Amino acid sequence: MVELTLPKNSQITAGKTWPKPEGATNTREFRVYRWSPDDGANPRIDTFHIDVDDCGPMVLDGLLWIKNKIDATLTLRRSCREGICGSCAMNIDGTNTLACTKGLDEIDGAVKIYPLPHLPVVKDLVPDLTNFYAQHRSIEPWLKTVSPEPAKEWRQSHDDRAKLDGLYECILCACCSASCPSYWWNGDRYLGPAVLLQAYRWLIDSRDEATGERLDNLEDPFRLYRCHTIMNCAQTCPKGLNPAKAIAEIKKMMVERRV
Amino acid sequence: MTNVSRNRPLSPHLTVWRPTITYVMSIVHRITGVALYAGTLLVAAWLIAAASGPESFERVNALFGSLIGRLVLLGYTWALMHHMLGGLRHLVWDTGRGLGKYESRKFGWATIAGSVTLTILIWIAGFALRS
Amino acid sequence: MSMRTPLSRVRGLGSAHEGTDHFWRQRLTAVANIPLMLFFVIFLVRYSDATHAEVVAALANPFVAVVFGLMLVSGLFHMRLGMQIVLEDYVHGEGAKIVVLMLNTFFTIAVGAVALFAVLKLGFGG
Repeated sequence: MVELTLPKNSQITAGKTWPKPEGATNTREFRVYRWSPDDGANPRIDTFHIDVDDCGPMVLDGLLWIKNKIDATLTLRRSCREGICGSCAMNIDGTNTLACTKGLDEIDGAVKIYPLPHLPVVKDLVPDLTNFYAQHRSIEPWLKTVSPEPAKEWRQSHDDRAKLDGLYECILCACCSASCPSYWWNGDRYLGPAVLLQAYRWLIDSRDEATGERLDNLEDPFRLYRCHTIMNCAQTCPKGLNPAKAIAEIKKMMVERRV
Repeated sequence: MTNVSRNRPLSPHLTVWRPTITYVMSIVHRITGVALYAGTLLVAAWLIAAASGPESFERVNALFGSLIGRLVLLGYTWALMHHMLGGLRHLVWDTGRGLGKYESRKFGWATIAGSVTLTILIWIAGFALRS
Repeated sequence: MSMRTPLSRVRGLGSAHEGTDHFWRQRLTAVANIPLMLFFVIFLVRYSDATHAEVVAALANPFVAVVFGLMLVSGLFHMRLGMQIVLEDYVHGEGAKIVVLMLNTFFTIAVGAVALFAVLKLGFGG
């Protein structure tokens, strides 16, 4: 049976409340999920207070303020700080988004931060995305052709190029896949919204010559059809993309090629 | 090298997710579907009672006419209407339409409002025909 | 601890090349169910307070009996497909999954047999 509750080693315990920064008049409370592989303890929620007057406006700024000024062991992934690398994807205020593009002013009350949901935790806010990346690899996200390579380039009309809009922008941050209950329960067999959006990006590419084989590989009760249009993916995507729509288009292609 | 990945905890999911209307309506669609599955037993019981003769028919009718019976039937009506409207929404989605972040939320609210309205109308009609 | 590569695990047993039929049939029965279930609800409202003789007379009408039968077939078919998805979602043990999927089919056929027998009996005059 599927486990709707957390296993014993994953249940969250009370954590430490760190003292408020001295002399700060304008503070903001952060409640952050912590887990370290070193001490064998269960995950906990630590409470921090940041000095808003000394900190940038984004959630990522707050986390880095904590790391610099309060607890240097706080572990998270981040790189570009402008929503293009996808590293700082995490669960903030009940939804998955990028810490670098989520403003502190968008959140009421304490800022609650967890790693992306239903994934193994490496440390603190860093989830293990090995399976996610392997799933991306499995859909062969590159141009596949049989025709002799043209001397210069594979050509594409403007209209066909426009079909990739809303797809190519995906940064593979995994916010959508980690928001999907179907992916939570069957992530070992269901490819999930992010990977299916990527699959559609190659299915709809006019230059690709392997559309049929790609559809063959997706036509599976679990790989594709675990999508039940729950719509969390479209609600949570920090780039404003719509994986649910891409999956609906794949399902349409599946029907189209047999009727 | 020690195996560091074996005892990794699973990050929290259901308990930390802030529900949106689309997410809730998806769960309700599933729950009403499962309820209707069980409800087929009621339909089968009513039919077999009707086919068995007036006596058994009266007995089953009395059961359905009791307060608890009526509450179950009211719930059944709502489940059927909700699942039907939810299904219509799915049929629209299957055409690739109405999947936008905000459009889909409107669909969610329309489903719940529509199912409650239809249920009330059906029961008013049922009682009106009686008198 | 498995030493298989992540890609090997994801590729698993490969694609079943299946699922579209299930998807299609679920939509097909869904569309059929809309008028059939509306008929069913109207029938129930109309006959919610009826005597046995009135119900028997109603179902003795060939049109009513046939539509009732179609409603049962389409509804049960749709229900079995839907429950299959729910079971596949939540039941992960391969053995348990096969058992519950079988029970799902048996339940559907049993309910269908009973209900259709009753409709036929009533349709042919009680």
